[in-house]
Amino acid sequence: MSAAGDSRIAVAPPRPRRFGAVNGRAMWSLYRREQMRFLRYAGESIAGPAISSRVFLAVFHLALGGEGPVPGVTMAQFLVPGVIMFSLAHSAFESAAVALFHDKIEGIIGDILGAPVTPLEVIAALTLAAASNALVTAAVILALMSFFVDIGFHAPALILVFALAAALVFALLGLIVAICAERWDHYSAAETFVVFPVTVLSGAFFAVSSLPPAVQWPFLANPVFHALEGFRYGFTGYAQASLWVAAGVLAALILALGATALGLYARGYKLKP
Amino acid sequence: MNSQIVSPNRAAAGHRGPRLVGAVNWLGLWTLYLKEVRRFLNVFTQTLVAPMVTTLLFLAIFALALGGAGRAAVAGVPYILFLAPGLIMMTLMQNSFANTSSSIVIAKVQGNIVDVLMPPLSASELTLGVAGGGVTRGLLVGLAAASAMALFVPLRTHAPFAMAYFAINGALMLSLLGLIGGIWAEKFDHMAAITNFVITPFSFLSGTFYSIERLPEAWRFVAHFNPFFYLIDGFRYGFIGHADGSLQIGAFVVLGVNAALWAIAHRMFATGYRLKA
Repeated sequence: MSAAGDSRIAVAPPRPRRFGAVNGRAMWSLYRREQMRFLRYAGESIAGPAISSRVFLAVFHLALGGEGPVPGVTMAQFLVPGVIMFSLAHSAFESAAVALFHDKIEGIIGDILGAPVTPLEVIAALTLAAASNALVTAAVILALMSFFVDIGFHAPALILVFALAAALVFALLGLIVAICAERWDHYSAAETFVVFPVTVLSGAFFAVSSLPPAVQWPFLANPVFHALEGFRYGFTGYAQASLWVAAGVLAALILALGATALGLYARGYKLKP
Repeated sequence: MNSQIVSPNRAAAGHRGPRLVGAVNWLGLWTLYLKEVRRFLNVFTQTLVAPMVTTLLFLAIFALALGGAGRAAVAGVPYILFLAPGLIMMTLMQNSFANTSSSIVIAKVQGNIVDVLMPPLSASELTLGVAGGGVTRGLLVGLAAASAMALFVPLRTHAPFAMAYFAINGALMLSLLGLIGGIWAEKFDHMAAITNFVITPFSFLSGTFYSIERLPEAWRFVAHFNPFFYLIDGFRYGFIGHADGSLQIGAFVVLGVNAALWAIAHRMFATGYRLKA
């Protein structure tokens, strides 16, 4: 008896884990969680977009013919970056929005709100997780496309930078939608009436430069157009607008959306009772 | 007989005997149909407005991609007139499928499918009621898309009968496919897989966006075994008066496929395949 009593005294109660300025383990846990959620449904999250991208490429190629709208680039080479950017944007948006909204509507969000993580850590971890999920999808699609199309790599670093920027923009947008939405309807309305139009009217499937100059301005005002310019330049070496402008637009947008998402989350807008 | 004995008491308490049902349970069938229709009308922004907007955007992209280049007409008509009926049929098909498949899968996953299986409805009535909801959604979406397009594109009508025949058969075919897929599927994942890997590719690649004369020889041969191709081709004939394939063969193929699908769906309801424990 006394031995058991001794051992009971000898075991000290667990002490709270100490961490410094950043709760790295919590961020890593959140990141891994979203990544595992994404990989668990790889059939829908990776294979689905891969097949639909291949279908899009086939359809546009068959309907529009072999010559590209830009000199020196075939139609297929012109379309591939557009098709990938389209899937990348949707993947980042869905990955971020569905995960956070699901947690919110099921009430699991309390487990994150109650944990010792700052809003900045949560938003950063969720955004990076959704962005990297989208980049995985994009990489798989690119690998698939390379079997069918002779893809050039003019500036690989730019491809990566602009892909990451677009992924961050749509991941942050997804988080904002998830915070503001009250029902699944709201989420799908955002996808149908915002994400889908801005991604298809970005020049993904046609060249904005071949439109009459008078009607080009709405497309030039679309941030996805700028992401696509840099992304496509990385493959083909052709861009209509300045890449510095594109980089500036995207950086400003990421900051603005990041600040919005952070502000909403920190206030607990539609998250805390 | 028993009911006659208790009926005076029941009548006093405001009860009536069980409703007598003839060869067809019309009231049950109508109720099931109304439930299916109200299900999608309740979220009409998702089920009617969203497909309409998506279809218009597809039209816009192709119009922009072709630009003022004055690209050669397809099948003797400007490309945009060739494309519009294809897009209407595509969205009609996708929405018919989505209606019946989601209805059955959600009811199965949530367990409220018993509310449909328990009432005195025969397998034929169940098939007709659920498929009828899908057909209604498909036709309404098609009508909405056509009306929206008519604002931008001078749509013509060449043969209204062919148009109606192929629209109704297309909506029915995809409704029945959705019904069969919904009964077969055990999780939302299965349904998403069918939509992603079968319905979307087939509806895109069956001549919606291009004349199959553009396809390589081998694929053109394959296309003639694809019922979706006949649906789109026949429906487009109703607008522009040109068909890539034979209209007579198409009319028989879609009717035959629908009869076969109906028999499968009926059999599934009759045996309770993946519906009853």
